[in-house]
Amino acid sequence: MKYAYFISCINESMTKELDIAFEKWKTDLGIELVKLEEGTCCGGSNLDYVSPKHCWTINARNIALAEKMDLDLVTSCNTCLLSLRHAKHDLDTKEGLKEQVNELLAKDNLEYTGKAQIKHLLWVLNEDFGLDTLARKIKTPLKDLKIAPFYGCHILRPSHLMGVDDPNAPSSLHQLIETLGAQTVPYASANKCCGFHTLLVAEEESLNIAANALEDGIRSGADYIVTPCPLCHTSLDLYQNKALKSRKNLPKNSIPILHLTQLVGLALGYSKKELGIDKHMIL
Amino acid sequence: MKQYDIVIVGGGGAGLYAAMEILNTDISLNIAVISKIYPNRSHTSAAQGGANAALANKDKTDTIEKHIFDTIKGSDYLADQDAASILCEEAPRVIRELENLGTPFSRMDDGTIAQRPFGGASSPRCCYCADKTGHTILQTLYEQCLRLGVKFYNEYFLISIEENDGVCQGITALNIQSGEIEIFPAKIVILATGGYAKAYWNRSSNAAGNTGDGIAAALRAGVPLKDMEFVQFHPTGLRKSGLLVTEGARGEGGYLINKNGDRFMSNYAPEKMELGPRDLVSRSIETEINEGRGFDSTAGQYINLDLTHLGAELITKRLPQIRELSISFEGIDPIDEPIPIRPTAHYSMGGIDTDKTGRTIMKGLYAIGECACVSVHGANRLGGNSLLEILVFGKIAGHEAALEAKSLNSVSISNSIIDKHKKYFRSLMQPSQYERYGVIREEMGTTLAENVGIYRTEKNLIQAIYDIKKLIERFKRVKVNDTSTVFNTNLVNVLELRNMLNIALAISAGAYARKESRGSHSRTDYTKRDDVNFHKHTMFTLSDGNLDVSYKPVIMGKYELEERTY
Amino acid sequence: MEEQKEISFRIYRYNPHFDKKPYYDNIRITLEKGITVLRALNFIKENIDSKLTFRAFCQAGICGSCGLKINGVSKLACMTQVFKELEDSKEENVILIEPLNNFTIMRDLVVDMDPLVEKLKYYYSWVNPKMPVHELGKKEYLISEEKFQEYDQATDCILCASCVSECLMMEVNPNYISPAVLLKSYRMNVDERDSMQKTRLKKVTSDGGVWDCTHCYKCVEHCVKNIDIMKGIQGLRNSGMKTVSKRSEGAKHAKAFITDIKRKGRLVEFTLITRTLGFIKPIFMLPMMIKMLLRRRVPPPSFMMSEIPRIEKVRKIFRKLKKKNF
Repeated sequence: MKYAYFISCINESMTKELDIAFEKWKTDLGIELVKLEEGTCCGGSNLDYVSPKHCWTINARNIALAEKMDLDLVTSCNTCLLSLRHAKHDLDTKEGLKEQVNELLAKDNLEYTGKAQIKHLLWVLNEDFGLDTLARKIKTPLKDLKIAPFYGCHILRPSHLMGVDDPNAPSSLHQLIETLGAQTVPYASANKCCGFHTLLVAEEESLNIAANALEDGIRSGADYIVTPCPLCHTSLDLYQNKALKSRKNLPKNSIPILHLTQLVGLALGYSKKELGIDKHMIL
Repeated sequence: MKQYDIVIVGGGGAGLYAAMEILNTDISLNIAVISKIYPNRSHTSAAQGGANAALANKDKTDTIEKHIFDTIKGSDYLADQDAASILCEEAPRVIRELENLGTPFSRMDDGTIAQRPFGGASSPRCCYCADKTGHTILQTLYEQCLRLGVKFYNEYFLISIEENDGVCQGITALNIQSGEIEIFPAKIVILATGGYAKAYWNRSSNAAGNTGDGIAAALRAGVPLKDMEFVQFHPTGLRKSGLLVTEGARGEGGYLINKNGDRFMSNYAPEKMELGPRDLVSRSIETEINEGRGFDSTAGQYINLDLTHLGAELITKRLPQIRELSISFEGIDPIDEPIPIRPTAHYSMGGIDTDKTGRTIMKGLYAIGECACVSVHGANRLGGNSLLEILVFGKIAGHEAALEAKSLNSVSISNSIIDKHKKYFRSLMQPSQYERYGVIREEMGTTLAENVGIYRTEKNLIQAIYDIKKLIERFKRVKVNDTSTVFNTNLVNVLELRNMLNIALAISAGAYARKESRGSHSRTDYTKRDDVNFHKHTMFTLSDGNLDVSYKPVIMGKYELEERTY
Repeated sequence: MEEQKEISFRIYRYNPHFDKKPYYDNIRITLEKGITVLRALNFIKENIDSKLTFRAFCQAGICGSCGLKINGVSKLACMTQVFKELEDSKEENVILIEPLNNFTIMRDLVVDMDPLVEKLKYYYSWVNPKMPVHELGKKEYLISEEKFQEYDQATDCILCASCVSECLMMEVNPNYISPAVLLKSYRMNVDERDSMQKTRLKKVTSDGGVWDCTHCYKCVEHCVKNIDIMKGIQGLRNSGMKTVSKRSEGAKHAKAFITDIKRKGRLVEFTLITRTLGFIKPIFMLPMMIKMLLRRRVPPPSFMMSEIPRIEKVRKIFRKLKKKNF
């Protein structure tokens, strides 16, 4: 199983541990990754309103880089997933757009054809690799662990661009967690927002959004919240103390947040340190 | 006590247009709009088709004159020709005004307002916004009223019109949210409360609230009603909800099938089959059901509109909205199953008698829109003229009222009226009351649909009048179970039923007295139009609790009576 | 006869005059296939409990009165088939009916809509005509298909408030403009017949306005008319940046992305904060940054970040893009 791996800006800086963990176990599962070194930032769901044309062009270029290698493109960030799939959807459906973009890409000897699929790492594990196969690879089943799955927004919505999960009752992350031997807890925030994208412009409100999810997670009795998105992780982990400051009478003061890649790593027998879990704010 | 210059009751297209026009005429006037729902929810939004105006964008040869003639002919010569002329003359101006204010009319290639053909029109002159014309016009008017700072009293239910010596003093209304009865003294009251086709209850495409509140209040206040027997039916309403399946389904090749599996239209219109004129198709379906060839269901008898032979591809491509409608509202996918339909009441031509400025016989009281009968539709309304009417007469009445308000004396309403209404409401909540409003309402709808529906005959009309009088008696024992003041919809539903019962009697009595067939009024015992005896408006007044029927001549003009053929 | 089922409606009840706190009623009725949730509620009101309170009007999906949460999701009761909804029920043959979120509950399923109307007014949600009153109605504007397309879909909105109920920013800030009003603002702002774009944009781009949207796409997902509300939100941000909101935090944040892609190919997160907020506000973030430093999680500063390979090609494409429009 070979993929082009899209580099999310935040995984290069603030959430390095996500890829550290992924690097540890990917060969155990026979996953081969070609890092898209020449790929640019996806625009972070901000570029599309600064300038849609830039958004289409850079993401057509990103996808074309993968197509040049004849590989599907995988990302481990929800917002990168949305930006890439959104651009792909427009390129594949808007009349004449692909041609105009390709004219520009020709300067870089690239061509967007639309053949490469854009996938989230979660989907790769669930569908391409398969949960049955994954189950057989487990070394340390995560029994006794109670997990609150936090999907984040851009892996679910808008559903016409995603189409894997029911955005009102998503299940893919639940299935993965249960395959790893852990238990999922029911709670209301699984498909809600972490507030990341407005952290800088509306901090108080964003922290409240994060706090709602965190409080839900804590009250559910979960040991960890697990998320497939580094942006959600940042909002829920890095900002957790600040977010929960206003919340009183919680059964416990904090809840650690794990990346999806770290949870898989734990089940495959790696230590918390190896997986970079010690780098988190909330331990 | 605060006194208004003008109070408008009803926040649909007519009421909002009037409010806008009043403030555009004289911004210093103190006005309010009182509506039983949020105005942007009004039934105007359900009008899909469009509004006629002889703009001559599409057909350069179209003229206002042609529009006038089409309207009068369509009315089966029962429209007042002066009113019909005003309707058509003012049409281009109101459509352009709405356009200037932001209504998203569909466009022609040259950027002008697009126009499409409509039944009964000699030129394509119907201006539209895709299939959301009424919705977008209502939004535009609501937005403009917000811009102008119109004072809205939302979720207030009209209880009564107050008068003194033939002069309107204002209204009383129930604040639905708080349960308080409030008085609104006003020099001028403009009723814009909408139509009454919901009296047919489950056999109507209308919104649940089209219960003729203003019409019934006017009748109780001594103002005459006109031409109440004229109600338009649409041939293909969904069986359960009454929602309309548009002509498109038959246009694309849908079949009408009875329980024997026959395409019965071959017996009624062998050449045009399912594409015959609307009233003929309605009558044919009704005949099939009456003669026992309909399907049975708990929701009553019905006929199938079968599209299954058209195939999934054609249905998804050409009739996506009809498919969505059937799936959402009836739970049926027309690709797999036929759609159950039956004719449904959807527009009421009659209403409060007014002159061509919207004035009633009570000084200071105006009526506009579907609740009024200016007499532009006569015995049958032309498609695309209903939206037009609310706009044109909303504007005219608003303008007239704005000019008149300053010259009127101040008015007053005694607070004792509040206690009188309170006492009545409390009496409805007494343990001795036992009749269920839902049952009475259902029976009212059924007797109207069965006896005063598409086909009418003396025997059935006598039955309807008998039934409704009995229901009115039973209503005296009706029980309001909900004693709470806050948002008491149980009480509102009962008060609406009281209004509909008044109206149901008027529809039936008018239909009984009119011993001819004209426009939407088809008597099987008098199948011909009888101009000698019935080329006149039916008038209804209440005296000592009894409904009196009398007549009034039609205002003629340059168009002579002719047979109506298409 | 059609298939029938006995179904429990678990309905939120609350009358502020009688009830200390809300509770749920379980009402069991037998229904056949083809019945909508609204018809079921009507049946309950007429035959079982006439005190049950909800709004409904057109019953045809166009007036927007009957917005409710059905099985936890905001939608119109009149357009929702009971049997279809059972497929999503968490408990077999139980349908959960609750009032919309993010509004004050007046009674049972009825919520106070006035705050939404007040926002419509506050944000000038109307076309402010360019023509003086006496000129109105004399002639048509000519509107091209392209301009028409910009606002056509947005005028489908029926203000049912499903999006407001689902909005996650509304949950934490009731004064937030809301998706419905953002859509209206956008619709007015792209209408060439309107004369107050700048005034409106100024309000829309200030605190509690368009920059506060978290892009969670809840509104898009739950719009009963399938309107791409995000297109409107992005359109407003775009026009705001070009005119009245150039120096706003939101605008600076968004612009940083395009600059960084040109400079490095990737986002320079180290300075993103200061470029968005300036140098004063971030001082309050220092304790967090020190903690990050201790965990070695601080993003590299710009001078330490290398450019992506062959960045000059990206820059070349950007230069060409400047002149292109599509």
